[in-house]
Amino acid sequence: MDFDFSPIVDNWGFLAQGLLITIELSVATIVAATLVGIALGLGRVYGPGWLRVPLTFYVDSMRAIPVLVVLVWTFFAFPLVTGITLPPFWAALAALTLHISAFVSEILRAGLNSIRPGQVRAARALGMSGAQIVRKILFPQAVVRMLPAYGSLLSVTIKDTAIASVIAVPDLMRQSETIAAQNYAPIEVFTTAMLAYFLILFPVTRAVEAFYRRVAHLGRS
Amino acid sequence: MESTAAGLRKNGDQPPVVQYDGVVKRFGSLTVLNGVSARVNKGEVVCLIGPSGSGKSTLLRCTNALEIADGGRVVFEGQPLPKTEGELRHVRQRMGMVFQNFELFPHMTALENVAVGPITILGANPAEARAKAQMLLEKVGLGAKGGNHPSALSGGQQQRVAIARALAMDPDVMLFDEPTSALDPETIGEVLNVMKRLAEEGMTMVVVTHEMSFARRVANWILVFDEGRVIEEGPPAQIFDAPTHARTQSFLSHLGWNG
Repeated sequence: MDFDFSPIVDNWGFLAQGLLITIELSVATIVAATLVGIALGLGRVYGPGWLRVPLTFYVDSMRAIPVLVVLVWTFFAFPLVTGITLPPFWAALAALTLHISAFVSEILRAGLNSIRPGQVRAARALGMSGAQIVRKILFPQAVVRMLPAYGSLLSVTIKDTAIASVIAVPDLMRQSETIAAQNYAPIEVFTTAMLAYFLILFPVTRAVEAFYRRVAHLGRS
Repeated sequence: MESTAAGLRKNGDQPPVVQYDGVVKRFGSLTVLNGVSARVNKGEVVCLIGPSGSGKSTLLRCTNALEIADGGRVVFEGQPLPKTEGELRHVRQRMGMVFQNFELFPHMTALENVAVGPITILGANPAEARAKAQMLLEKVGLGAKGGNHPSALSGGQQQRVAIARALAMDPDVMLFDEPTSALDPETIGEVLNVMKRLAEEGMTMVVVTHEMSFARRVANWILVFDEGRVIEEGPPAQIFDAPTHARTQSFLSHLGWNG
């Protein structure tokens, strides 16, 4: 069996554009899903009762629906319902954020609930208010504790951006499919794509892990 | 007994700092405090002793309203504890509390642990709060450890930081909840020494403890708890050398106390 990597060499600029889109979509999703997820998580743990019910329903449904379904719904059904058409990149960002933020909120909730009650007692005994306790005592410790799970979620998020190719976002996956089909070189092109994903993800997961090892003691009460 | 006892007690002629009037506390069907009345005078060290589960720690937590009494009342500096959380916060700011498990904030250095109360709650100038925190760390013998996180401190050191953290709020009374129970025997002494010095400086202290020799040497007044009641109270010499209540005698003998 002969391998011909010339389609990749010939089209490296086209593929690099795809890689750039993948990175952009990943970073945008991570930032948005983290911010939304923190708000959701805080709302679920400390929010008033009337807010907790819909937030819990939202998180549970996002955990029960495949992200691909959320994506195609956002791109194909949402415009018919609302009359608002989102460009593919923005539809992908919205769908991934909807989905991933639910998981961020669950991780944060678990982190907050894992802190032992004595920490709250000590903060209350000093005379702190509820908001001060969350801001100064619980949230910082929860952030440290959620790092390992958050690191896994980061890699899931970056990998999940590949499904954006379904709605024609010109990301690494989509560009690879195009080149592979034009040149009939699926082995060479998709192997290269795999390698590219791996080279992004491997350092990210390692970096989060190394960072966690350095700061783990800050969350241990 | 109460009137004669009051006359014997340190600052017994002045209004008490803390007064318990028939305090009742229930958890579900379990009555943990069953009508406790007692007083803590200014500058006194009052030790609460008695078997586990007899209500000592619960009374301490009712003092700064970490637990709300179901019956009776707690009076602090002449005022019954307020009802709203907002008002209670102001009362708690005037009571320092030290816990069995230290409960230092692990994401802050020792210095930050001591300074966080004044900065966050009282809005103190951060530089001044940190200078004061450094002074308090020196006072508990940890002037060189301000930059360490709790994970890098021994249990005894953590508990001394916790004492400094409580002192940073300039409390009128210090509440100690079994402060040496979680410590290695070799570090118990360093914590008790800090507490003893604090007592000598005139700090009003309520101490739940199983350290009978500390209670014997440092306390001005002992409350003996059993099954949610104070069964006996008096100066340490009386409680330890001539306990009148059979339960006190059996409790002390179980601890191997022989005067």
